[in-house]
Amino acid sequence: MSAAMISEHIPDIDLITTYGERQDSAVSRASPWTKGILLILIVLMITLTSNLVILLAMYAAILIACVMAGLPMRKILAWYAMPAVFVLSLVGIMAWNQPGVPVLSFTIAGFILTLTDQGILLIVTLLIKALISVTFSLFFLMTTKYAHFSAMISRVFPSPLDQIFLLAYRFLFLTLAMAASILKAVRSRGGGLIRSVRVQGGLFAGVFGLVFIRSFEQAERVQKAMTARGYNGSFAAHTAIPKPRIAEYGLICISGLAVIMTMWLVPHAGGW
Amino acid sequence: MTIMRHDPDHRHCNHVDPGRELIHVDCASHVYPDGSVGIHEMCFHVMKDEIVALCGPNGSGKSTLIEHLNGLLLPSEGDIVINGRSIARGERADLWKEVGVVFQRSEDQLFAPTVLDDVMFGPLNLGLSPEEAKTEAMKALEAVGAADLVHKLPNYLSGGQKRLVSIAGILAMKPRIMALDEPTSDLDPVHSAMIERLILEFKKRFGISVVIATHDLELAARIADRVCLVRNGAIYAEGSPREVFYDTALIEEAGLKLPDTVMTWLEYCRGTGMASKEQPLTRTELVAQLERSAGQGGRKSLD
Repeated sequence: MSAAMISEHIPDIDLITTYGERQDSAVSRASPWTKGILLILIVLMITLTSNLVILLAMYAAILIACVMAGLPMRKILAWYAMPAVFVLSLVGIMAWNQPGVPVLSFTIAGFILTLTDQGILLIVTLLIKALISVTFSLFFLMTTKYAHFSAMISRVFPSPLDQIFLLAYRFLFLTLAMAASILKAVRSRGGGLIRSVRVQGGLFAGVFGLVFIRSFEQAERVQKAMTARGYNGSFAAHTAIPKPRIAEYGLICISGLAVIMTMWLVPHAGGW
Repeated sequence: MTIMRHDPDHRHCNHVDPGRELIHVDCASHVYPDGSVGIHEMCFHVMKDEIVALCGPNGSGKSTLIEHLNGLLLPSEGDIVINGRSIARGERADLWKEVGVVFQRSEDQLFAPTVLDDVMFGPLNLGLSPEEAKTEAMKALEAVGAADLVHKLPNYLSGGQKRLVSIAGILAMKPRIMALDEPTSDLDPVHSAMIERLILEFKKRFGISVVIATHDLELAARIADRVCLVRNGAIYAEGSPREVFYDTALIEEAGLKLPDTVMTWLEYCRGTGMASKEQPLTRTELVAQLERSAGQGGRKSLD
């Protein structure tokens, strides 16, 4: 049951959870609250600043944290494919005809398209911002026990958002397991997703259709099992979440100060 | 107890012993939204301190009946009486407090982030505080021998462990009746034996009446006090396991196959020309009976 069975470039929720459960490094054992707050501060920071040096420094620090946590860097790099495609598909349009020194220029149907140094900088900056947020999110998920993560969701988000999240996560596992078992059945008889698309478009659509139908059936059975135990719309995770240690409070304070300083510097130093 | 045959067209509901009767399903019909009839002319009851086995082929209505016991389904026409009180209209909430259901697929029953959260789910819905719910959950996990799984994620449990946790989730709610749909299906022999032992313990240690829906007639023969044969959405016949499983014509009519122990004994008797009044149901009883008959000269026939 693994997303890796479908593609190496789709984050494997099973592998992410397995790493999250390990807790075998100092950064893994840090309080989930610390990592959660740092994630928020990092998102704020990359929203506020476009300074490439700061962004590269942040990215390097996050990569070092990932290595310290013993995370599978090759896998993480493979998972970059989706955010990279997402960013490039958006920024690829915005990057053209930016003011700056032209690097590349050509004409299509009477329109002149020019890629400038500022356009390239925009692509690089936004790509790094995306990779920072994706990498730290993966770091957070892959170093935090799911029980702690779900308990945080339960405490932070209001109902019914927390309910939807708590149930969706488990359901995602079941749906992936189902997709994997259907794919296994297809492959055991010489089929395959890519081959299905090329040769048997109907079969490809059928596999996806079947996953959805079975998911709905499964959802109904899960709902029935919950009703049988008196589900009334309220479900919470009760696992105790480890509190931050003193050093972690220090890290949060320093990071918070860095964000505040950036907030102050942005209006006063145009380049930030 | 004698075998009671039911008329599939006209149910005849007797309240056998109102003092001991925990629940009574008197269902003229249950019609699904697509128009198919799940069960009809069904009269079923569960007494205090008994294990009832519902035996029948696939699609005979066993699971539909189990869902009626918990109030997940209500009769389209008919009544459910629990502790002498009818709940045909509205009061569905009472049923899940009294009757716990362990579904056939444990995958569907476990949805919480951790085993502890899942087992605490029922007690919390009963109104217990998180601390009380945790205590009940731990007790239930210990009772089923799964206390070491408390902080595990349900996704990473084996099939047998998932079944044990599902049972703990119901046990923690302290129901008066526990209904298990195919409790040993897809399990290895070790976990099957564990579940069987637990079912017997629920009755003896916790005073819980148990209903099992099963194709495993061997299991029913070993642990049930009463066997109900279900066919085409109705109880076809009921009686003690010994009476029911030694009525070969009845078992055949119900679309089932005799338990191996019974079949072995009947073939042995036929082969040796022995007319025995004894009716062994379990493997132990069969071995004892074979030894006894061998001592009486049956060994010659066996050779």
